[in-house]
Amino acid sequence: MRDKLDIEATSRTPAVIFDFAGNHLKISGESYPEDVTEFYRPVFDALDEYLGGLGQGSCRFDFELIYLNSSSAKAVMMLMDKLEAAAANGASVDIHWLYDKEDDTMQELGEEFGEDLESAKFHLEKMSV
Amino acid sequence: MLAGQLMDLRSMLHKQGVIFAYSGYVTEPVLSGVGEALKQKLTIDDADTKTLRSVFAIFVEQMQNIIRYSAEMQLAPPPPASDAGALKEIRYGILTIGREGVDYIVCAGNLVRQTDVERLRERLSKIRDMNKDELKALYKEKLRADPEEGSKGAGLGFMEIARRATQPIEFDFVEVDADYTFFALKATI
Repeated sequence: MRDKLDIEATSRTPAVIFDFAGNHLKISGESYPEDVTEFYRPVFDALDEYLGGLGQGSCRFDFELIYLNSSSAKAVMMLMDKLEAAAANGASVDIHWLYDKEDDTMQELGEEFGEDLESAKFHLEKMSV
Repeated sequence: MLAGQLMDLRSMLHKQGVIFAYSGYVTEPVLSGVGEALKQKLTIDDADTKTLRSVFAIFVEQMQNIIRYSAEMQLAPPPPASDAGALKEIRYGILTIGREGVDYIVCAGNLVRQTDVERLRERLSKIRDMNKDELKALYKEKLRADPEEGSKGAGLGFMEIARRATQPIEFDFVEVDADYTFFALKATI
């Protein structure tokens, strides 16, 4: 299994830093890709592979998104679903949703995602910028 | 003559409070470029963070609606193999960003097929008449649902626009010919 996935941010896509060895996954920045499927496919694939081998282990996923368009919201929901499924299967999963305190839309979106999680632990936090 | 004509066009936009206007074929790189300029302008205006993000978010959804759904389009030559994700067609639309008093206004217009007008009107009326809580509930429902037939995104764009807007969305239709109607959508922030 690979140790990490490291995708640099662009003006339209977030930075993705999955430190699989350290069980710390993070996605940060802005997300409004030209082709949302093309951007997120390798992210989903890497996450599936990692979660498939996680078992009863623990992991932390940080969402530090400034802005995401509506098609990216769907992709984020799919990431949440994968994390929730791993947690339901016995993994200890902590999801941190960090939002800019100046933008309550992103706070609300975080709350909406959090409401659907039962097994994964959800933490809603202000960004410390 | 030349300067007069262009100045008239500029004056007309100016009188309507328009700061940015784009009319033509819209592509993703156009969205990127105009979007960067829009962010700079909003920063110069000293718009607060929430307003800046909302104007930008609505701009992105409106532009992507034109790119994906405008019924006025031309087929593009086949893209090089290295760019296999490129769209096979380019679509025409108009988008303006302006001010009305303290508000920002983002308007977009494009042709739609006559056969799509009623469905569009129904969807938009429903979204326009919803309060924030109802919009939130519908957004969550659609986020979980499979995209509707003919949708190329998540089918959430209009709801994202309505949620980010500070006033109810406005929309209108003008029949062009037997096949097409011009559709306009206005969001106030």
